[in-house]
Amino acid sequence: MKVGIPRALLYYKYNPFFETFYSELGCEIIESPETNKVILDYASKYCVDEACLPIKIFHGHVYYLKDKCDMILVPRIMRVNDKEYICPKFCGLPEMIENSIYDLPPITKTPIYANNKEKLLRWANREGGNITKNKIKIKRAFDNALREQEKYTCGVNDEGYKTKVVLAGHPYSVNDSFLNMNVIKKLNNLGIGVITEEFVSKDDINYEVDKLFKRPFWTFTKDTYGSTVYLADNRKVDGIVYVSSFGCGIDSVLIELIKNNVGDFPFLILKVDEHTGEVGFNTRIEAFSDMLLRRKLS
Amino acid sequence: MKVTFPHFGNTFFAAKAAFDGLGIDYAVPPLCNKEALEIGSYYSPEEMCLPFKIMIGNYIQGIKEGADTVLTTGSCGPCRFGEYCELQMDILKKLGYDVDFIVFDAPKAIGKEEFLRRVSLISNASSKSNNEQIEAALNGLKVINLIDDIEKIAHIKCGYEINKGESKKILNSCKREIYSINNPEEVVKRLHEYKRKIKSVPIDLNKKPITVGIVGEIYTIAEPFSNLYIEDKLMDYGVCIKRKLSPSWWVKNTIMSAINMQSLDIRLASRKYLPLYIGGHGRECVGETVLSKREGCDGVIQIFPLGCMPEIVSKSILPTVSKDLNMPVMTLIVDEMTGETGYMTRIEAFLDLLERRKSNNVLSWS
Repeated sequence: MKVGIPRALLYYKYNPFFETFYSELGCEIIESPETNKVILDYASKYCVDEACLPIKIFHGHVYYLKDKCDMILVPRIMRVNDKEYICPKFCGLPEMIENSIYDLPPITKTPIYANNKEKLLRWANREGGNITKNKIKIKRAFDNALREQEKYTCGVNDEGYKTKVVLAGHPYSVNDSFLNMNVIKKLNNLGIGVITEEFVSKDDINYEVDKLFKRPFWTFTKDTYGSTVYLADNRKVDGIVYVSSFGCGIDSVLIELIKNNVGDFPFLILKVDEHTGEVGFNTRIEAFSDMLLRRKLS
Repeated sequence: MKVTFPHFGNTFFAAKAAFDGLGIDYAVPPLCNKEALEIGSYYSPEEMCLPFKIMIGNYIQGIKEGADTVLTTGSCGPCRFGEYCELQMDILKKLGYDVDFIVFDAPKAIGKEEFLRRVSLISNASSKSNNEQIEAALNGLKVINLIDDIEKIAHIKCGYEINKGESKKILNSCKREIYSINNPEEVVKRLHEYKRKIKSVPIDLNKKPITVGIVGEIYTIAEPFSNLYIEDKLMDYGVCIKRKLSPSWWVKNTIMSAINMQSLDIRLASRKYLPLYIGGHGRECVGETVLSKREGCDGVIQIFPLGCMPEIVSKSILPTVSKDLNMPVMTLIVDEMTGETGYMTRIEAFLDLLERRKSNNVLSWS
């Protein structure tokens, strides 16, 4: 059986788990290529107009895979921590896909509650059950997949640059270099190092988050807010670069929260959507880097 | 303590009755208006959704009338509404207003003790006895149920009435009158009278009006200002309106959700298309579209504020529902930039479409 894994959204964070799980069950894995112009065109054609760019790109990847495999992984990740969510669009992702793209092979629809192991195993049994009836095999694949996932780290922490910025944003905007127009490389070329939220410890994040009136109920809001404010307040970085997709409801809250709490600190917000032009994007990054440089000199 | 609260459809009648009963001083902000929206969109984050902006306008206008405490509800995700209070507190603080916020969150999320503490902030401010306080709260509940009922009846009768515009006139005079009364018992009595009055509006059952279901995000469909008074306009056209989501529905739904028995019909109806709660009222929107067909609606209008996350999911599902049920669905997205003329043109075109479908003959002029 060929299982298609779209290289979009939380692929960048949880890919080892899904890939190991399905290959241990004896499936052939077909991954979509890195996002490119063709996929972006599919994306804007086959997705509801109002959705944000990452969701659209996911549609593009699914469309690319649809005739190449027998089943497509559309992870409906409900939560990864207790009492927290990802985003409403993640909860309804399989429905969005199903109703926007026709002639699809079967897709996975079982909700994933990754906040505890038993619930995650329930997902594995349900979805693995479509492939093999052997429960022991599923359990073994599941355990190996979790082990692979634990070994995996993503994120960037550049060393050896004089200036350093925190690159904030959802994992899929930070890691998809087509979506963010290669922002990491562009910053590096200007002599700016990048650190991402994965390199801030959980305690530091929680310390910052507990200062809020209400604990955010979105996992990425909590992580991004906590890490960015921690790095900025302790002057571990010289500035914040935030990659945000147009129309992201979570970002509209999160950016405001960060702004209110870091005070007078260099903060660049890069909005991306399917029409973003690269030249204007470059100009803004260059201007920001000039500004950081002058702050250092003064 | 002088309390103010954001507008949400007819809730201010209920809040007024409850505070009158409790003997707490309050300032009802002026009904949602252009100025509130202007203030709100000036101070709010640009990409925030429309309800947030109107609410900021309400608060500031309420504070200008002397309020020092803001009363609002919260939720615990995954929709943005749950984060409103945090940002709104920041915004008002930055503007230099010294106000207290009392946020009623779900007891599940903040813990029972914290919830009771927040309730006690209100009840301590009242000089009435416990029994009187409970009675005041129940009166508020009665008022919201009655006014929503009256509105519902008016929305159906406007298609059948013999004297055109009669039910709308009664509805409006009802709202005007009870707003000026400060005695909760009197309000409930008057509402009962109005309910009888609107039930006795003469109708002509031979009429075959178009029936339109209104679904979508609860704030934008229940707060008439935010949807550019779409219901008033439809009533003027003599179109029957069916809308289930209202403040009274919300209260009932919230209470029932404690024992997981809320809106069973909607859950059953939406099962085929969206089997899970995705936050906001995305699932209700899909379920209600299905129910509208069963209840005999000719078409459905979905309304939501720009960028509303759960409704974007339901918007992508609705075309399939529409095709399966053979019923037209139109989506209207509102924000502070919505122009009234284009909006009206779309509604009129949609009504024309429904009218022609109903007469079964596209080319009939009779």
